[in-house]
Amino acid sequence: MFGSPLGGNVARTTSYKVVIPFYAYAAVSFLVACVLLLGSGDLFQGHWFQPRLLAITHLMALGWATMIILGASHQLVPVLIENDLYSNRLAHLSFALAAAGIPLLVYGFAVFNLGWPAQLGGTLVLAGLLAFIANIAISISTSKRENVHAVFVFTSTIWLLLTVSLGLALLFNFTTSVLTRDSLHYLALHAHLGMVGWFLLLVLGVGSRLIPMFLISKYTNPRLLWAVFALVNSALVLYGLFFLYARNAALDLLPALLVLVALLLFAYYCRKAYVERIRKKVDDQMKVSLLAVALLLVPTLVLLALIAVLLATRGDQARVVLLYGFTIFFGWLTAMILGMTFKTLPFIVWNKVYRHRAALGKMPSPKDIFSHPVYKAMAVAYLAGFALFACGILLSNMYLLNTGAAALLAAAVLYNWNVAKLLAHKPLKQ
Amino acid sequence: MNHSEESKALVDQAYEGLKFVDDPEVGLNVVDLGLIYELDVNEAEKKIVCLMTFTTEFCPMGESILANVTESLKMTVPGYTPEVTVTFDPPWSQHMISDAGRAFLGGY
Repeated sequence: MFGSPLGGNVARTTSYKVVIPFYAYAAVSFLVACVLLLGSGDLFQGHWFQPRLLAITHLMALGWATMIILGASHQLVPVLIENDLYSNRLAHLSFALAAAGIPLLVYGFAVFNLGWPAQLGGTLVLAGLLAFIANIAISISTSKRENVHAVFVFTSTIWLLLTVSLGLALLFNFTTSVLTRDSLHYLALHAHLGMVGWFLLLVLGVGSRLIPMFLISKYTNPRLLWAVFALVNSALVLYGLFFLYARNAALDLLPALLVLVALLLFAYYCRKAYVERIRKKVDDQMKVSLLAVALLLVPTLVLLALIAVLLATRGDQARVVLLYGFTIFFGWLTAMILGMTFKTLPFIVWNKVYRHRAALGKMPSPKDIFSHPVYKAMAVAYLAGFALFACGILLSNMYLLNTGAAALLAAAVLYNWNVAKLLAHKPLKQ
Repeated sequence: MNHSEESKALVDQAYEGLKFVDDPEVGLNVVDLGLIYELDVNEAEKKIVCLMTFTTEFCPMGESILANVTESLKMTVPGYTPEVTVTFDPPWSQHMISDAGRAFLGGY
């Protein structure tokens, strides 16, 4: 055995000042997206290419999911790669640029003015993500160890770069011809690079580390994770090639099936980790996160149904497309975030407040500094809202759409209440 | 190291104190979690020497666990200076959790 002097080998945790703004921004974005959703039920009975739906989609994708993932990544990537974050300044810069760009972009979509507000917003978002990617890339390159989780994270940032670059090109293409075809043609490619390359790959990479870690599970299987990695990336490359050179709905079945196999393997991995866990009592946050793993399969099955509809009818597939997008952004991504927020943020706040207060036995534990009844109510409202709204899309039923949207808004309010409670936490008097 | 009866008693005392220091995420104390590799008393230098680890090398809670371990040693073995060293060789694994720890986590 060998060690190091007191404190010499102890990780320098990423500062809460870096991480907390991302969480706060994401919480507000989720709330605003749910407010917009509440008045948009009728839009889910028509075509998906509508200004308000584009605004909600980008608010969910960038303001909610990407911002919280960026924030959590600054905290979790050092744990995954076993190295310090390269630069807090780059992290602050990435927040400032993305935080300024997202409202401009969303506003541009909402009023369908794809001129300067949206273009400036998109450029700022791209600049912010470049700062993030540079920070992560340098942190990984200086790490002493390589592991499959870090490779997932790094590869996902490459897909993110491609997604946002293409998105920006599409935006400029609305006003100036920069691509060979119109922007609508490329939207499916832009969306799938983001949903599969960025969100899915990152969630698989981080989840495969965190789920066994939080369950204290004996199960590890890097070979299986490498197989998942190869399947998802092969699917993305094939999809891109088919999209550009052989546009045919039947061909899209192959990448969709590769992703489905990858998700089934990941679900198997999580199940094994769950079965072989030492920590038998699973908390509510982990339950919601594990539910999100099951929800991963829903959009893939909807996608397969969509391809089948396209092949069979060439007719009205708008509802299935809307359901597909909804099950991704309001389904598994949101479920994963609702669960993981309260597995990560309480520790970040706890570290901020109590790290230097080594007063034994007089500190609350991290899980005690947010409200569990509110969390349970949020989980119930979310599940009800998700199920009702999804059924409303399928049945074109306004009552279900409005009730579902109201329940999702209630979930967002409760989520924000608990996040605000956490962020306002002050040390207990001793 | 002088392993007198008094030293052994001090080490036992220190272990009992450390059973009140929890890993905040797991909710289990650092002794039963298997984070304490060695604990010894150097009577000549009036030091209490602790070799410990964390569940993962970049444990976000590491700094606070370390502070609490140091504070606990100061309180339970007064007059001795704590000297805490963190090592990741060998790395922590689930096998290091004590039977009492497994029972606490519901392992049985």
